[in-house]
Amino acid sequence: MGDTPISSDLIRGHIDTIVLGLLSAQDRYGYEICKQVTVLSDGEYELKEPTLYSAARRMEGQGLIRSYWGEGSQGARRKYYAITQTGKDAYQRNLDDWQRARRLIDTLVSSETEKE
Amino acid sequence: MEAIKYYVKGAFQGVDETPQVLEQQEELIADLTAKVADLVAEGKSQEEALGMAIASVGDLSDLISEFGPAENMPVPIPVATVYANRLDLHVVTVSLGIGMAVMIACTGLGAMVRAIEPGSALSLFGALAVSAWWLRTAYQKYLAEPDAVQTRQLQYKARFRQSLLVWAGVCFAAFVLNMASGTDFWFWPIWVAATVWPLAVKVEQLMTERGEFAATDPAAAETV
Repeated sequence: MGDTPISSDLIRGHIDTIVLGLLSAQDRYGYEICKQVTVLSDGEYELKEPTLYSAARRMEGQGLIRSYWGEGSQGARRKYYAITQTGKDAYQRNLDDWQRARRLIDTLVSSETEKE
Repeated sequence: MEAIKYYVKGAFQGVDETPQVLEQQEELIADLTAKVADLVAEGKSQEEALGMAIASVGDLSDLISEFGPAENMPVPIPVATVYANRLDLHVVTVSLGIGMAVMIACTGLGAMVRAIEPGSALSLFGALAVSAWWLRTAYQKYLAEPDAVQTRQLQYKARFRQSLLVWAGVCFAAFVLNMASGTDFWFWPIWVAATVWPLAVKVEQLMTERGEFAATDPAAAETV
């Protein structure tokens, strides 16, 4: 995909927020979520299915999302995920946290160079 | 897409096929199938697409290991911490009340159609005496320790089955006694009374599962 994929460590802590954000728009199945991440990041970040499944199972346990089986292609079932109200609240909270963290980190990582 | 199924089943080899594991396999198969279809639509050959899809999913061992410990994990028994004596008094009162109502209705009905043997009054009073004693015991326990707290396992199937068996036994005994004495209704109060026990089990189940009489201070609980 991208020539220099971004370090996954920087992203890992935000996978829940990313998935919740994608599910805020509409219910999606696993591959659809992974594909959307690749598309939105223009190939710079790839969310692997096993990582998504683990995150989804954890978030379902926490009541942030729920899952159901829906129609797939050629008669096969597909597991769809949907965000719950708790999930929407958590998403909003994570989003606020991220905005604050981003401002803070921007300031911290650039402060030395700006002073000089 | 047999190859995908084969690959996924192979990856999960040695893992107990619990419903969760089967569901995860089905999800992975469905997602891989969609991915391969996408790649084929982009112009890749079937084999190429399959290889790329499997490679892009990457290492499954972390995911699979999450299911590992579930193999031997016992299903946790649900418990509730309750004010035991208040609950018991309530259960006894409610189930006796229902039993009594049935008894009175049956007696009234029996008297109207003149189907009641005068002798059944004997067993009726016997049943009433046992009921009174049962209620008194529960009430005294409540008076002695109104705030006693217990943690109870919410397992009622076995208890309910047991009480039903006893009920069936009592009915059979009453039936035999009826036959032996050559009457029809001598012993009906006995089996009506015996239904109170399974009833009590059900009432307690209903109460505890709805969270009634839940104790606010679980720390004080003694486990039963």
